[in-house]
Amino acid sequence: MPNILEVDEIYTDIGQFHILEGVSFQVPEGSVTVLLGRNGAGKTTTLRSIMGLWKPHRGRINYQGADLVGKPAYQIAQLGIGYVPEYRAIFRHLTVAENLRIAERKRGQLAERQRFIFDLFPDLERLYNWPGGQLSGGQQQMLAIARALVAENKLLLIDEPSEGLAPVLIEQMMQAIRQLSSHSTVLLVEQNFRVASQLADFYTIIEDGKSVHHGEIKQLLKEPDLIRRYLGAA
Amino acid sequence: MSLQTATVLRSNTFRSSLLFSAAFIALLVLVNFALFNPGQVSVVVLSGLYQGMLFFLVSAGFSIVFGLLDVLNLAQGSFFMLGAYIGFAVYGSFPEGTPVWARFMAAIMAATLGGGLLGALTESALIRPLYARPVFQIVLTFGLGIVFTELVRAIYGPAGLIPIQPPAALDTTFPILGARFETYRVFIIVVGAVLMAAILLLLQRTRIGIIIRAGVQDSEMVQALGINIRRIFTLVFALGCAVAALGGITAAPYLGAFPSMGDQFLLSAVIVVVLGGMSSFEGTVIASILVGLTRATAEQISLQYLQTPVLASLSILLIMIVVLLVRPSGLFGREN
Amino acid sequence: MQTPGALYEQPNRASHKGFLPGILLAALLAPPLIAAIRGQAPPDVSGFEHFTRSLAEVACADGLNLVGSLYIAETILLGMLTAVAFAFPPGKHPVFTALRNQGALLSALLLLIAMPFVIAWGTDSSICERGKSFFWQSVFIEAFILAALAISYNLIFGFIGVISFGHAAFFGAGAYGVGLLIHHLEWPLGSAVLGALLVSVAMGVFVSVIALRIRGLYFAIFTLVFAEIFFVLAQNRIMVNITGAEDGFTFAVPDWINATKNRITFYYLGLAYLVGAFLLVRQIVNSPTGRVMHAIRDNEDRAIMLGYNTFTYKMLAIVLAGTLACGAGILRGLLNKGASPSVLSISFTMDPLLMTLIGGAGTFIGPVIGAFLLHLVEQALRDTVIPIAGIEINIGERWFLILGVIFIVIVIAFPTGIAGTLQSWWNKWTARRNARAPSR
Repeated sequence: MPNILEVDEIYTDIGQFHILEGVSFQVPEGSVTVLLGRNGAGKTTTLRSIMGLWKPHRGRINYQGADLVGKPAYQIAQLGIGYVPEYRAIFRHLTVAENLRIAERKRGQLAERQRFIFDLFPDLERLYNWPGGQLSGGQQQMLAIARALVAENKLLLIDEPSEGLAPVLIEQMMQAIRQLSSHSTVLLVEQNFRVASQLADFYTIIEDGKSVHHGEIKQLLKEPDLIRRYLGAA
Repeated sequence: MSLQTATVLRSNTFRSSLLFSAAFIALLVLVNFALFNPGQVSVVVLSGLYQGMLFFLVSAGFSIVFGLLDVLNLAQGSFFMLGAYIGFAVYGSFPEGTPVWARFMAAIMAATLGGGLLGALTESALIRPLYARPVFQIVLTFGLGIVFTELVRAIYGPAGLIPIQPPAALDTTFPILGARFETYRVFIIVVGAVLMAAILLLLQRTRIGIIIRAGVQDSEMVQALGINIRRIFTLVFALGCAVAALGGITAAPYLGAFPSMGDQFLLSAVIVVVLGGMSSFEGTVIASILVGLTRATAEQISLQYLQTPVLASLSILLIMIVVLLVRPSGLFGREN
Repeated sequence: MQTPGALYEQPNRASHKGFLPGILLAALLAPPLIAAIRGQAPPDVSGFEHFTRSLAEVACADGLNLVGSLYIAETILLGMLTAVAFAFPPGKHPVFTALRNQGALLSALLLLIAMPFVIAWGTDSSICERGKSFFWQSVFIEAFILAALAISYNLIFGFIGVISFGHAAFFGAGAYGVGLLIHHLEWPLGSAVLGALLVSVAMGVFVSVIALRIRGLYFAIFTLVFAEIFFVLAQNRIMVNITGAEDGFTFAVPDWINATKNRITFYYLGLAYLVGAFLLVRQIVNSPTGRVMHAIRDNEDRAIMLGYNTFTYKMLAIVLAGTLACGAGILRGLLNKGASPSVLSISFTMDPLLMTLIGGAGTFIGPVIGAFLLHLVEQALRDTVIPIAGIEINIGERWFLILGVIFIVIVIAFPTGIAGTLQSWWNKWTARRNARAPSR
């Protein structure tokens, strides 16, 4: 399997704080890869650095032969990368329809993909003309993911999809991510180890801004010591 | 159910803001009827609408630009003034004998385009380098306003220009309930109302409008969806300046053109935007009418009883202080 | 490791701290003491007035008399010593260190003290003579007032990062306050000054309590409107019996502070106020309170997270800045023996903002440099006409245009102003020199 994304020794500062100090990993095409680590280890910063929302001052990010470092966020998105930020960052004052429409990169794209999206998230069809701010937490999360599916993205960066959701909704969310991972490569950040281990093929552990461990998730499940050491829970 | 309550809550705040504004306007009209005869009342209402529209034209750019870019463009008033001067220059450049309406239309179009172009230039050359230093952006627009005003003063002199001739149909007065009112001021009201509707439609119905409304909330996320927000910033800034310039040339046949004409409206426009709730365009629309009516009423009261227009400017200053005390985020403002 | 060339900031070094100020005090006091001993005032006055009259009498005797020549000599001496201290930086003797840290500032102060004599010398007149001597003295007095105003503006704009467009309200409150109290209520000078200052404190508290509740631009807008209210009220015809509307009003001041009769006293009063304001702001900013202010300017959220009540600190700065601005306004009112709506106009907000920016926001000396530069250049060039590309430009007439352009250039290219830019050049230069010098 060729790698769709190769992150090579990136360093990112936010203000005077050094957040990332050497993160490297690969995302094989078609896989689900998860970034693991404690709170504040630098997982979200890694996703934002890939997306160009924060600029790494060292290192390379190779995406299908193009270096993403230094490119503005909108160009990175146009290369076919979809971003689902944490805390369900949808546009609260826009309707569901408008939230989806804004993600179109070509005229008519939404009409083409609508069926696929509604099959994944049937709720959104019913709530099509509701303001995003009036949706429940789970529905907002679905909308955030759906928004990244409107344009045909080859790589999806999804940050903490299960955060703050009820167990029933988490199941539904996992179902959806599993389905869409048959169409695109997924790079996931997930605190909930159970969710992560069921969704992902590969993992990278980030600790204090450095990537410290990689491998297949099947392998990781057999090493409770490692899990306890880096993630605090088994 | 929490979803239901949220729905009710949001629409309630919006509705209560609307209700409050409507009650305020009703109160103003009542005060008018108590103090003046019907003819005077109609003149006060019309001149209130007229003033409100001028405030709106200067402040329309304010609220959208502020919401999206977090920039308070204090040079907005000077774009109003520049619009008038550009329009006058174009109007005067036609040979004698050209029909007045053609010269008039050309002046309006040139002023709007010129204001937009200057705005785009300002944003990309001067504002853009300063997004990392927001305080300096306000300071810069403040300085820019001075430069524009002084530049015009240097070129055209401090005295101002004689108003241009609007088309004959607009250059007259009509009777209303025993009083008379200038047709041209009604024309300004119409222009303002058309622009209000056009901008509302743009914001609600077009893709650009969706992007702008999304950007007001989270411009970073808009970028991450593959949209070059910088280009939208420039466009919106230029649009705000174009509307102000259009306001300037529209008002100029009535007011004339003079270097400080923008400053007069700048303060009122700022008050309108604060009253309306900074980044809410609907708030700006309603607040501009509210401020216009208040000012016209106060003007009439002080002319009739005090023989000086002192209350006119004081009334809106006081209203702003009172509203800020009661509702710190303005009538339609959203608490973050 | 010694950090060289702290041009403006005073490093916290305990030893020999009082060395230069001590010398300065002696240098300041010696000439007038000698003069006062030699002068003869009328016998019926005593105390302070005796001192000032004797001094004035001696000082007015001729253009460059004993006092003046002593001051000029002292200025030159201290200036040379400071230059030597800068030219030989490796010298670690405490005297050199003190000179490097304070010498330039103190030389400038001595120069300003000697200035009336220098002017008298240059224009070949007495310091008490009307005409050129008086004209340039008043130019400097206005510069002192503007500099104090800019210092007060810098306290909120430069050190705590709050932008106000209503500083004119405080300045105007000083001029109008002292004038109205003297003119209408016939208060004595001292009480009137105190009364005006109290009014400005109340205004500062009012503005803070209302407008600081919401962060960011609201404060700027609120202050803009707040100042406008005073401006509208002061010049309205309805107030004609109180404020004199557009024309303003005049009032009488005691002889000793009457700038028409005794301008030299006013000159030193203005200078003293400027020095006082400078030292006060520097003291505050260098104190623990000042460090919290810095933290608020750099990142208010973090300051709140660290547990500081940022509102209190901001209010403190606003009230203090307002009071200092009011003091400058009082001086302005006393200088003109009157007040007119112009002291409340937007130009007295713009001037300190511009002066602070040009000189260097967030530096101590910046606002003073900015104020002197702008005011003196304006006065010197007001009748100059320069031809550019076939157009004759009258500097005095186009002053605001020129200011506006400078303003924009500074905001974009030199956000730290003259003082900040010089400071960073100096730091770079000394760093390079230290790197070159063999380490010992």
